[in-house]
Amino acid sequence: MIRFIFADLRRLWLGGAVVILLVALATALGVAVTLQERSLRLGSARAADKFDLVVGAAGSETQLILSSIFLQAAPLPLVDGSVLTKLTADPRVSWAAPVGFGDSFAGYPIIGTTISLISGTTTGFSEGKMFALEGEAVLGAAVDLSIGAEIKPMHGTAETGGHTHAGPAYKVVGKLQPTGTPWDRAILVPIQAVWHVHNLGHEHGQEEEGAHHDEDGHDHAHEGEEGHEEGDAHAEGETARAEPAAQVGAQEGQKYAFALGAASSKHVEEEHHGSIDPDAPVVETFGAGTPGLPAILVKPKTIADAYRLRQEYRSGSTLGVFPGEVLTSLYATLGDAKMVLSAVAAGSQGLVAAALVLVTVIHVGQRRRQIGALRAFGAPRSSVFMIVWIELFMLVALGVGIGFLVGLSAAHVGAQMFTAKSGVILPVGFTREDLRLAVILLGFAGVLAAVPALLAYRQSPAQALRA
Amino acid sequence: MLPLKIENLAVSFPGLATPVLSIDRLEIAAGSHVALTGGSGSGKSTLINIIAGLERIRAGRVFWGEQNLADLSEGRRDQWRAGNIGLVMQDFHLFPGLSALDNILLPARLSRVCNGELIKRAHTLFETVGLKRPEQHIETMSRGEMQRVAIARALLRKPGVIIADEPTASLDLESGEAVGDLLLAVAADAGSTLIVASHDQRLVERLDRRLSLKSGRIVVDTQAEEIAT
Repeated sequence: MIRFIFADLRRLWLGGAVVILLVALATALGVAVTLQERSLRLGSARAADKFDLVVGAAGSETQLILSSIFLQAAPLPLVDGSVLTKLTADPRVSWAAPVGFGDSFAGYPIIGTTISLISGTTTGFSEGKMFALEGEAVLGAAVDLSIGAEIKPMHGTAETGGHTHAGPAYKVVGKLQPTGTPWDRAILVPIQAVWHVHNLGHEHGQEEEGAHHDEDGHDHAHEGEEGHEEGDAHAEGETARAEPAAQVGAQEGQKYAFALGAASSKHVEEEHHGSIDPDAPVVETFGAGTPGLPAILVKPKTIADAYRLRQEYRSGSTLGVFPGEVLTSLYATLGDAKMVLSAVAAGSQGLVAAALVLVTVIHVGQRRRQIGALRAFGAPRSSVFMIVWIELFMLVALGVGIGFLVGLSAAHVGAQMFTAKSGVILPVGFTREDLRLAVILLGFAGVLAAVPALLAYRQSPAQALRA
Repeated sequence: MLPLKIENLAVSFPGLATPVLSIDRLEIAAGSHVALTGGSGSGKSTLINIIAGLERIRAGRVFWGEQNLADLSEGRRDQWRAGNIGLVMQDFHLFPGLSALDNILLPARLSRVCNGELIKRAHTLFETVGLKRPEQHIETMSRGEMQRVAIARALLRKPGVIIADEPTASLDLESGEAVGDLLLAVAADAGSTLIVASHDQRLVERLDRRLSLKSGRIVVDTQAEEIAT
């Protein structure tokens, strides 16, 4: 019987191939949508996993998370430097680290941060060591540079019309092990270096700082206005609500923050051109002179502490956020998008189902004679049923199988493209849910395949042979 | 080796006022060789289909031995035919993609009755019908050879009845004659009842009894001996 089925399939190979292709494409579409959405959800959740609590200035939670965890640079309102000082001193905090961004090199974001953050969020170095001097840099695993390379930070990114800082350059001293987060694509430097590049937070000279303030005094209003024009409504709120004491820092910070935007970058560059002292040791005590920060990553000691801290830093000028809660609301949006895509996929699957019914009907017509002949020469009902059923079912099952593979590889390709761009590793894989989908599809195919087999017995062999 | 007895058979198709076949009484002795003739529309094919169990019987009774075909369901009729009737048809109905031998064995295999003995018999039959390459694919054979394969297939399960529907009509003269010879020889050998529907005069003349149909009724019924004497 099997030999007969294969001989038959060989004879009908073209039609069979079309059926397989049709089923495979429809299945692949549905599978790819499902897998991609799920991997995006899992991947981003894992990327945010390492960061328990993010504290920033009052503003958009989503933007805060996108910028600090997914390193999507955007103008952020700044939180006062004293917040970091307070957090570092808080007994409920295991470590708190500032994140400073805005510069890039060769398309990789340069992130100013601290040793405690790097050791707290990574599994260690694949080569080299931690930065110890202001002029040293550590690479994320996905940064395609080698130890000893020199990094000249560019303000903003090349795409947004940024330009290279004239003076400073970092030297790469270490490369981290992969973490599967966007931080794999980052060049990590001491936060103080970032400040110095942008002429902020001179801890060594209080006087210089003061002078700096005066010098900039005229600019404050102007900068503020520019901020409004750039449409960052939160910045407005921030300025209005800020404590007078924090005002200077905040405003000065704003300059830095808005410097992230391409429009104002040039302006800032002209006025400030700080330089780093490559041989200065890294100092990680953040005192009174700490400049405004776009985001502070906090590692609370316990979960209860995390909730309490989030609550505490959610009032007034600061915003404490669990990355998870922001992602959850993002997923809700993602879920809507998935629903649309799923509807498209379901529509295409419906079309294919209709096409399959058509194929089945034609198939029955074509096979009437053959089935009639099989019966005339004494093939029992069960054999005829099995032949017709197995042939159709095999085609559809093969299509579903290929579709799953194609969908899987499409999702993989998509995930890889996404990883290359963002550094977020998207875990693509099948789960029990997909198994259910496969079973449903195959069940449908099984029922459909039985139709011609059953129709075959609605007429006598003589009638079938006349067809 | 089975006798046929038909009583009050009437076959009509929807939309047609008169039945296409109407036979009050017909008996065919076991082991006899009968020719069935008649123009197209005479009911000849219908009669063949009825006695082969290919068509459902709605009115009347058709006995092969003790078995009334009218009592059997579609599936049971298929099953009964598989065991009792060797069928040879004008269009062969062989299955492309399979070798000649596989074609001979296919019905037996599908009925799950194939065993070593049947396979041996298939080889023997293959030689009996005068063919040499059992592994040859059916679609590469000439029409004469195909009909020989079909005859071998019909004989595989030693049927008590061989029914041939225009077995020579699609063949050239020479192979037609050879196929006719073969049918007569194998039927005589096995003692099977042979019923052949044909316009082929030379084949018809060689059978013992001739039934001629017209408008669904048997109009002539002659024994060959009667003609000869």
